[in-house]
Amino acid sequence: MYKILVVDDAAFMRLMLKTILSKNGYEIVGEAENGQDAVDKYKALSPDLVTMDITMPIMEGVEAVRQIKLIDPDAKIIMCSAMGQQSMVVQSLQAGARDFIVKPFQEERVLESIRKTIGA
Amino acid sequence: MHKYDGATDLLNSAIESIKHIFSCPAQVDAPYLFDQSLLQSDVGVLIGIVGDMEGRLVIEGESRIFAQLSQNMCGIALEGEMLHSFVGEMANMIAGNTSTLLSGRGKQIDITPPTVMVGELRLYGFKRGIRVTVHLEAVGPVNTILLLQG
Repeated sequence: MYKILVVDDAAFMRLMLKTILSKNGYEIVGEAENGQDAVDKYKALSPDLVTMDITMPIMEGVEAVRQIKLIDPDAKIIMCSAMGQQSMVVQSLQAGARDFIVKPFQEERVLESIRKTIGA
Repeated sequence: MHKYDGATDLLNSAIESIKHIFSCPAQVDAPYLFDQSLLQSDVGVLIGIVGDMEGRLVIEGESRIFAQLSQNMCGIALEGEMLHSFVGEMANMIAGNTSTLLSGRGKQIDITPPTVMVGELRLYGFKRGIRVTVHLEAVGPVNTILLLQG
């Protein structure tokens, strides 16, 4: 079972993602509510994949992607943000994210992105 | 260099975002201008905006309206802390979608994480405000407010 770390400052959004992922056979190995928390939990939990919000307190998501990629260049990270402009997508991909999902999202879009990224 | 005053552009984009995110027909009231203070009666969210346009966006309304929106969006009428989290995320989506729309028109803004405000309170610290009420069909009114320093 693939292990996923869900990163979002909104408890509601973490709940939405956990519900979608759990019922489709993924294990939620941890949750983080800001970028720094995400980096720390990535080190501790070594997830197979991370879903990452962008606008968060303490450390925003793109910086968290950069830091996680320094720890593990093969880290698989999908951005999940309401900020869908081209510049934000480009910044995220340049930082090392594999895909970008714009909120609000459909369940199938999330699953499609995860399958493509994990290769399962 | 004179900063672009895009209040109308920003509000129109926010209203467009609300209609897109909730995918339901809506009627939009005429803008109401005010100054000095803003009274919130139930639940609101404040998001800071910086960049080509600057100000603070407030999405405000009644708890029962937001609970209905959570029911429409995810099938659960949320309450308590999870409802407040939903309201914050909903405003984040509105502001994020607004930034995407403006970016397509050549204007760049960035947004802060949302601050959720619960209960009756009065906001100060701005020069002028513009409120537009959006009536979402079969749900109810949501106030979209822009607070400006200039």
